[in-house]
Amino acid sequence: MAGERLRILYSKILASLQTMPKDAAYRKYTEQLISERFGHVKAEPDVEKLEKKINGGQIEEVIFQAECELALSRKMSEWKPWEPLVEEPPPNQWKWPI
Amino acid sequence: MASTAATRTAAGAARVVKPIFSRDLDEAKRRVRELYRAFYREVPNTVAMFQLDITTRQGRSKVRELFDKNKHVTDPRVIDMLVIKGKMDLQEMIHVWKQKTHVMRYFHESEDPRPADFLSKFYKGHDP
Amino acid sequence: MLRLRLPAQHPPHQQGATDRHVLSEEEPGRTADMAATFMRMVRVGVGRSLSSSRSSFPLRQQVGRQSSSSETRPTVRAKDPVTHNQLAAFGEYVAEMMPKYVQQVQVTCFNELEVMIHPDGVIPVLTFLRDHTNGQFRNMVDLTAVDIPTRQNRFEIVYNLLSLRYNSRVRVKTYTDELTPLDSAVSVHVAANWYEREVWDMFGVFFANHPDLRRILTDYGFEGHPFRKDFPLSGYVEVRYDDELKRVVAEPVELAQEFRKFDLNTPWEVFPAYREPKEPAPKLEAGDLAPDKK
Repeated sequence: MAGERLRILYSKILASLQTMPKDAAYRKYTEQLISERFGHVKAEPDVEKLEKKINGGQIEEVIFQAECELALSRKMSEWKPWEPLVEEPPPNQWKWPI
Repeated sequence: MASTAATRTAAGAARVVKPIFSRDLDEAKRRVRELYRAFYREVPNTVAMFQLDITTRQGRSKVRELFDKNKHVTDPRVIDMLVIKGKMDLQEMIHVWKQKTHVMRYFHESEDPRPADFLSKFYKGHDP
Repeated sequence: MLRLRLPAQHPPHQQGATDRHVLSEEEPGRTADMAATFMRMVRVGVGRSLSSSRSSFPLRQQVGRQSSSSETRPTVRAKDPVTHNQLAAFGEYVAEMMPKYVQQVQVTCFNELEVMIHPDGVIPVLTFLRDHTNGQFRNMVDLTAVDIPTRQNRFEIVYNLLSLRYNSRVRVKTYTDELTPLDSAVSVHVAANWYEREVWDMFGVFFANHPDLRRILTDYGFEGHPFRKDFPLSGYVEVRYDDELKRVVAEPVELAQEFRKFDLNTPWEVFPAYREPKEPAPKLEAGDLAPDKK
């Protein structure tokens, strides 16, 4: 049951990541992370062992994390944060002490 | 606030700035008129609700005076900021979060005019 | 206010570099008064325990020896390179993920990760930190502002976030001025609601799309923003009860001459390492004294 849910969520995340450019760091790292977890889910039917393997808390928490990641990945393709910096900070903006 | 902002915008006139609400002066003026209308309509309610010892006419002329105080402002962003603060003021009045003392503060009833010439300063006493 | 806890100068070769980089800073070391007091307390504690039991107890002796060996550099804070490197790595990770918004990342000597972002990126960066599986900074601990009037963007807005999953904190900083609205973080963290009202009330920074932006601390009808550096210490009005009008009235504040001179320097010497002895502190208001140096 939980595995089924995770499988759907993870494939949705991966599909959503496909829309981003290949060299985007977000896509690269998230793909790596999600497919690792996806592999665990496919390989391990037992929930308790799966929790240990994923090491992200209880399975409900892992599902919640996947839901968040899915929402985030959809927003990310809107924001396009892999683009270059919008604007340099004004000179001495981050200088401390002034 | 208006003065510092004015100097800032004068210094970086070429800089593109992010608008608060209004993109140009006309839009900002429209917002001011809307706020003025809202205040104008609210005055009788305020007088009744707070049991103020003033007439509606006095209240409205005070509103007008307060709006006139900032009529020299031309930067749309400063106007927007003043409108935002005015809206908050109006909200506080409509919901009667303010009390009578806060509303009557606009009228400066208890303040004596400051001594201007030598003699009145002399009568006033202590201050050099 | 937060910035007071930052370490001393950045290494000079890293200043002015246009690209983003991770700064790792050295401890000022000499001036940590708190650390000194702490060490003093420890020493007293150990001494007492030694005198109470003089028996040859190996662990006790070891404790004593350790403390005596640490006394050679009593005020230096212990380094924690593991945490430091972890935080630096996570900072680089965030900067790599969102190069559009992150301007600079640094880890302070107290092992606090700071991410400096462009004001457009408030919502994306906070959402990313909240929702990304490797971050999960789901709690907003604090939101505040710092006023530095000499800068082009005088307000610095500081977000402190906490991740319960990884037991870790991150500080996100951005900047704005009196007239530039900043996106409200309420859509990301509901806890930001009252904090943003506070920042609006105290500093006058306008937050766009805030659901309920109004005053929170000051009195109705109060004018000005008290935490701005150009707000006078005595305020603009004083209130009293007027017996004729039967209500509280507010009048412009009037001070006798002898109360009008303020010495703004504290009698305690705080952070002498941050003092630049050559030039005087920047005068905030149009001072009556002509600057004698220069």
